[in-house]
Amino acid sequence: MNKVYVKIAFALVVASILLAGCVSTGGESGVASEKITIEIVQGKVEFAKQFESLAESYEEENPGVDIKITSVGGGTDYLTSLKTRFSSGEEPEIFSIAGPSEAEQFRQYLTDLSDTDAADLALEGSLAGVTEGDEVLGLPFNQEGYGFIYNKNIFEQAGIDPNEIITYGDLENAVKTLDSKKEELGIEAVFAYPAKEKWVGGNHLSNVYLAPEFNHNVTEAYNADTVTFEKSDELKRVFDLQNEYSVQPTLSLDYSQQVEEYFSLQKVAIIQQGNWVYPSVQEMDPEFAANSIGILPIPVEGYEGSIPVGIPNYWAVNSNSDEEVIEVSKDFLDWMYTSETGKDYVLNEFNFIPAYEGYDTEKISDPLSQDIYDYASEGNTIGWVFAGYPSNAWGDILGANMQKYLSDEMTWEELIEDSIAKWEEPRQ
Amino acid sequence: MKNRDFTFWLFLTPVILGLSLVVVIPFIYGLFYSFTDWNGIKATTFLGFENYIKLFQDEEFRAALWFTIKFSVASVILLNILGLILALLVTRKLKSSNFLRTIFFMPNLIGGLILGFIWQFIFVSVFDDIGTALGIEALSGWLSTTNTGFWGLVILTCWQMAGYIMIIYIAYLQNIPNELIEASQIDGASSWQRFRNITFPLVAPAFTISMFLTLSTSFKIYDQNLSLTNGGPYNSTQMVAMEIVKTAFNENQMAFAQAKGVIFFLIVAVIAITQVYYNKKREVDM
Repeated sequence: MNKVYVKIAFALVVASILLAGCVSTGGESGVASEKITIEIVQGKVEFAKQFESLAESYEEENPGVDIKITSVGGGTDYLTSLKTRFSSGEEPEIFSIAGPSEAEQFRQYLTDLSDTDAADLALEGSLAGVTEGDEVLGLPFNQEGYGFIYNKNIFEQAGIDPNEIITYGDLENAVKTLDSKKEELGIEAVFAYPAKEKWVGGNHLSNVYLAPEFNHNVTEAYNADTVTFEKSDELKRVFDLQNEYSVQPTLSLDYSQQVEEYFSLQKVAIIQQGNWVYPSVQEMDPEFAANSIGILPIPVEGYEGSIPVGIPNYWAVNSNSDEEVIEVSKDFLDWMYTSETGKDYVLNEFNFIPAYEGYDTEKISDPLSQDIYDYASEGNTIGWVFAGYPSNAWGDILGANMQKYLSDEMTWEELIEDSIAKWEEPRQ
Repeated sequence: MKNRDFTFWLFLTPVILGLSLVVVIPFIYGLFYSFTDWNGIKATTFLGFENYIKLFQDEEFRAALWFTIKFSVASVILLNILGLILALLVTRKLKSSNFLRTIFFMPNLIGGLILGFIWQFIFVSVFDDIGTALGIEALSGWLSTTNTGFWGLVILTCWQMAGYIMIIYIAYLQNIPNELIEASQIDGASSWQRFRNITFPLVAPAFTISMFLTLSTSFKIYDQNLSLTNGGPYNSTQMVAMEIVKTAFNENQMAFAQAKGVIFFLIVAVIAITQVYYNKKREVDM
């Protein structure tokens, strides 16, 4: 008989634990009402720790504000969890969005931020993806750029001056020289091209050759009914060049092999990547990272010497909050990008390339970011239009087609034809 | 019926509560959303069966389904052969049999995601190095073609699941009455005859269990697929679960993906129900 009571008691304990879950959430919101709580959900995990300590400094200066930060792993996972938060009613006050497609999905929740100081100070063109008429719906995180990252030591040994590589012809010659001296330079191949990563070809490489037809404007790309691939031949030859002179087989080569195994260990001379690889290279070999890497533009006829620079993420403020909360949220974003403490964090702790005026850009810490900032400030940029590709993950579709082309499942003409059709499909 | 008193329901409540909150209610929600144009945030129009009609015309979904079926058939056959061999090995009177059982079962305890990355390294780097050293060209370029990707997945699944299937076979092998074995030995049966006529028929029920178990597991594989090939090259090694996730979260067609999910559920449910039905029948037979 005793056993029965024990079991009932156990069942009650289990039930009470289940119920306790419900009670505690109710209690929390009661306590929080004294302070203004700002919940931030953002999708860039690389700087999560530093961002949290920045938020702590803000809390010290503003004791009435409590900031809670959730950082979710890059790409698709972030959007999933953000949507979950919204559909379950646990809406954050500040969240990050990546370009016009996400801005449209969350349109009903976006506050106009045009009255913030940060919006005034944002670099020209950096708000293009999130501007709607007079309204500014997001504030840029930072700038990012990509191109051919090369190993200065290897170039020097091979007697190649990177400053002289301007046109496609120059690049091809340099690649052939490097290839002929592979043994003495101690490299496995000239490139490491990660065809396994669909975004490297489908988003980044294609962006360089598609941006001119959309006038380098992400919004124009976002509204375009079709794509013409004017520079299809140029895209093909750079793609072929990278694939031919790459470590083989490219189809199973991934990002981490490309950056860590091959480039950081100096087994290849050039990789097509952006300034985001810097921390990884630094971790593998700090000295090499600091002194011996540089970035070259991907040659596009008519735009030689220009580098694609863009805004990967924007901050958005939830319009569904109380007026007071919205004001505090705006103030926090302003403080982050315009106060001295905030600026210091942005440059030195986050290692961002600032997207705002008024920064001491001499202090940009890594050479890749410095190079990219120089290109950007001289106006030598190519648009960042891939954030405006169709929402059926068009970049991935193009990337998959490029993989088919490499496996001889598709000719280049079929690739172009199919990719155009897939662009038009969701935009009818 | 008599025992369905207050205590009966009291004990059941936590489970019913949990199950309905986590499984039943979301499932009903999902079923409803699959008939709308839900995009993850809001649903505006009711579409009826449009998503379901579109789904059968979706080439990528059909390709993924076909790939999954091929994969399941290959891995079910190999898994059961391998599981039975391992079980026969460790039920012999070897000193190391307990140790071996643990070793064979261990891969099953490692998460699929990590296994995928480990095997990716083996296929891409180790295979390539061995191939270059021994001059075997077939070992180079693994995971860069559809075929090697397919076999890569099969090998990974077999390596992971074989230990589990082995346990099931061990249970049946140990239940074979010793008298039968002894009697056959006295009658002068060779070890092959003994296996063919005594062991095999007596472990046949284990085969049914293992078959359905492996079938439904191989159908639902996602993590190994994601970390080993990520669908590449050109999405040709993409299985159904992965295709659904991609439709939902990359292509942002939540409702459409939900419809695919419902179809996927039906397929797995049919397999599972058949399994339960057969198992019950077997139990009666014995």
